[in-house]
Formats: sequence, structure tokens, C-alpha cells
Amino acid sequence: MTRALVAIRGVSQRFGADGTSVTALDSIDLEIPDGQFVAVVGPSGCGKSTLLSLVAGLRLPSAGTVLCDGEPVTAPMPRKVGVIFQEANLLPWLSAVDNVAFPLKLRRVAKAERLAAARRMLELTGLAGFEGRLPHELSGGMKQRVAIARGLVQNPAVLLMDEPFASLDEQTRMVLGDELLRIWSETRKTVLFVTHSLNEAVYLADRVVVLSARPGRVVDDVDVDLPRPRSFAMSAGERFGALKDRIWQHIKGAERR
Amino acid sequence: MTWLERHLRLGQAVLYLAILAAWEILPRAGVVPRLFVPPLSEALGALLADHREYLGSLPTTFGEIFVSYVVVCGGGILLGQLVGSSATARRMLLPVLRSAYAVPLVVLYPVMMVWFGLGSQSKIAFASIYAFIPTMLTAVAGVAALSPALAETARAFGATRGQQILYVALPASLPSIVAALRLGGALVIVGVIVAQMLGSAEGLGFLITRHRTLLNSPGVYAGIVLVLLITGMHEVLLRRLERKVAAYRQGA
Repeated sequence: MTRALVAIRGVSQRFGADGTSVTALDSIDLEIPDGQFVAVVGPSGCGKSTLLSLVAGLRLPSAGTVLCDGEPVTAPMPRKVGVIFQEANLLPWLSAVDNVAFPLKLRRVAKAERLAAARRMLELTGLAGFEGRLPHELSGGMKQRVAIARGLVQNPAVLLMDEPFASLDEQTRMVLGDELLRIWSETRKTVLFVTHSLNEAVYLADRVVVLSARPGRVVDDVDVDLPRPRSFAMSAGERFGALKDRIWQHIKGAERR
Repeated sequence: MTWLERHLRLGQAVLYLAILAAWEILPRAGVVPRLFVPPLSEALGALLADHREYLGSLPTTFGEIFVSYVVVCGGGILLGQLVGSSATARRMLLPVLRSAYAVPLVVLYPVMMVWFGLGSQSKIAFASIYAFIPTMLTAVAGVAALSPALAETARAFGATRGQQILYVALPASLPSIVAALRLGGALVIVGVIVAQMLGSAEGLGFLITRHRTLLNSPGVYAGIVLVLLITGMHEVLLRRLERKVAAYRQGA
């Protein structure tokens, strides 16, 4: 096994004051090797998005440590970690190419250099020819492609995706899923992908981590032993169904409570 | 699409012309007493005949408008940005500001004349106080509507606090700043003219009041035409600016 690129060790997250505090995550341990595609699923409110924001350095855990490439995460590390949110969150006044170049602008990379990098990323995400469009001139799926390009533009080792396709219609979601797998196979990033769709999780990931209802604990860690490249036909197969069923058993019970 | 939908601009131009024509024709036809509304041509004639006096009133008027504009839009928008960016400050101050806004400030003008005298200071004080709160409320509403998601995204990509303000918060609040400028400017112009009308020895508002006392209606309306020109020019400039910052609107 390759070394863990992202290591989550004994991480807990509590919210609120002492008396009324809510435990969102309870002693999570996860080691994610370099290049692995990991999906995180769990019942609503299990803290899967919180887990992602801890790895992103957007908040600090109440206990435990998050290591990225051996370094403790205490603040966002944009050169190592790219983040893609549920909404594209593009700056509405910037064109697609300027949005993608934005992380480089924050680092004061020279203009020509950052625009060239942004154009390459738009090409990778299938948006060549749309560089000059403003976000409101793009469809929901295209905006999310811009967001993915922005997440990739600094060539980070880790890509964090927080339900990135949740606000898209199903067809767009499936197309973008395949696109993501293509990009992943070309770039071999380590991906941590939060989703509430079991189909999406099993279809995309090497491994599905299942969290319990609040407080979120790891209740299962499923190795997705389907061959790659994945195809739509597989999702009708027996193995796909068995994996989904195994994950569903954990979530079903939790959602009923 | 109907004919009118395709020719909205033309329809508007016709409407404007109809209003101007009504202004000219109705008094002449005796439908409206000339003492109340003289024909447009008479008002313009008075403006031409006494153009020295009217133009002479403009430097004072513009000066007072300018200083109040700076106070209201500078102070109001800056304070609005500050209050708007803190949820606690909003919760504490907004009800107070709204009730202060409900006070009819015109009743305070005589007191202000006692404090600041008959000169420009009382006009600037009144116009500034009159326009400050609504301008500030507009700015507050704009900042409060900013989505925290954009700032969070910028932070995830390594933006420092300063970069978040410079690259995200400021551009995102440009439309509300222009909206506040537009409202503040319009109110400042009204405030200065009203204050001049209520008590002063110079300025456009003073001329309007003096002609009214003499029952010189064309003279009154000549002043009104100038006021309309000033507010109209302001409106056109600010609308142009608004279109320029339209791309900065959120929800794109």
C-alpha cells in the first residue's frame, strides 16, 4: 500500500457551548492513500460535509489531527488541496477563465501564466471555447465544470468534493460523473467525495466510507472491487447491487431513527 | 409580441412628449388656472429672461448638494458596510435606524436654522441628516444579502482576510453601493432644495420661494424646470453606472 496522503486521526468535532454542545463527528480514523478515490456517505446530518471542511482547513477539529502529505492541517492549503462545493460558487463578475485563474491570482502568479493554466484546465474539463463566458451565461453543469477546473488549477494532490453534483439534474450528473472519472484517470488525484447518492458513491469510488447518524462514526469501510473503467452497464450488475445494498443497510436504520 | 412590446422606447418617448404637451396645452386651454401651472413655454421664457439670476443660484446649490453628497454617500455607505457585515450590529441597530427614519425630519429644520444659521451649513446639515439613514439602510441591505459561500470559497483557495474583502466582498457589494448612491443623491438634492425653500437668502430653492411669494408662477416653474434637470441628470448618470455594475450582481 502506498503511504497515506490524507490521514484523519482521532478527529472529533463538537458544535455549540459546553452544556448544549452537539457532537457532529466522533473519533474518526481514516487513512487515504495517494491516488485513491474515496466516497463518504451517511445519513443526513452525519457530519460528512463537516469532515470535508476539516480536511480543507476551513475549520479546526475539537480533538484529533488531520494530516495532509504529512503536514498537520490548521488552515486552508490551496496548493495541496482543491475544493469543489455543492454550488459552483463562481464569482459572478469574472469570466470562466478568470474564475479558474482566481486561486492563482490570490498567490500573485503572473497574469499570462495564470490565464494559460486556467485555459488548460477548462480544456481538460471540456469547456474549451467558453473561456470568456460569465457564470450566468453558463448552464448548471458547465458552472460545475468551471468549479472543477478551478479546483484543479493549482495541480493539488488532493481534491475535496462536497456533493458537487447534488444540485444538477440526473442526466447532467451522470455525464459529469463520467467526466470526473476521465479527469481522475488522467490526473490521478486523491479524491475525497462526499455524496448522499449511493449510486454515485459505488459508481465513482475505489472505496466507500460509511458514517453513522450523529454523532458521525465510521461504521463501514467498503472496498469497491468493480473493474475500471466503470461503465453505465455495471450499475445494473449484481456486484454493484450487492455493494449498494451493504451500504444501504447501515443508512436505512439510521434514517429511520 | 405586440407592437408596443417591440417599441417600448418609442412608447416611452411618446409618453414624455404627451406630458410636456399637456403642460403646454392644458393651461392655455384654461383647464388648469395659469396661476397654478403656467404653460411650459412661459416657464422656459422666464428661465431665459432671468437666466443670470437662475444660473447665479446654481454654484451655491451645487456646492451644498456636493458637500451633502459626500457626507451622505461617503459616511452612509461606509457605515452601512460596517453595520451590514456584522449580524450582531444589524440586529441591534436596524430597528433603531428604522424608527429614526420614520421621524419626519423636516420639522427639525427650523431648529437647524437656529443652530447653523441661514447660510449653507444649515442646508448641508439638513440634507445630510435627511438622506443619511435611507442611504445607510440601502447599503446595509446590500451587504447583508452577500452570500457567505463566496467568501468561504475564496478562503478555501487561500484568500487572506484582505483578499476576501478586496476580491469578493467589495465587488459583490458594488451594485448595492450604486443603489445607495442613487437613492442618497436623489434625497440630497431634495433635501437641499427644500431647505433653501424653507429659509435662506440664496440658491435655487430660495428663488422658487421668492417668485411664489410674488405670485410669479412662470418664475416658480422656471426654478422647478431647473430642479428637474438636476435630478434627471443625476438619475441618468447613476443608471448608466448601475448598468456598468450589473455583472456584479449575485445569483448569476
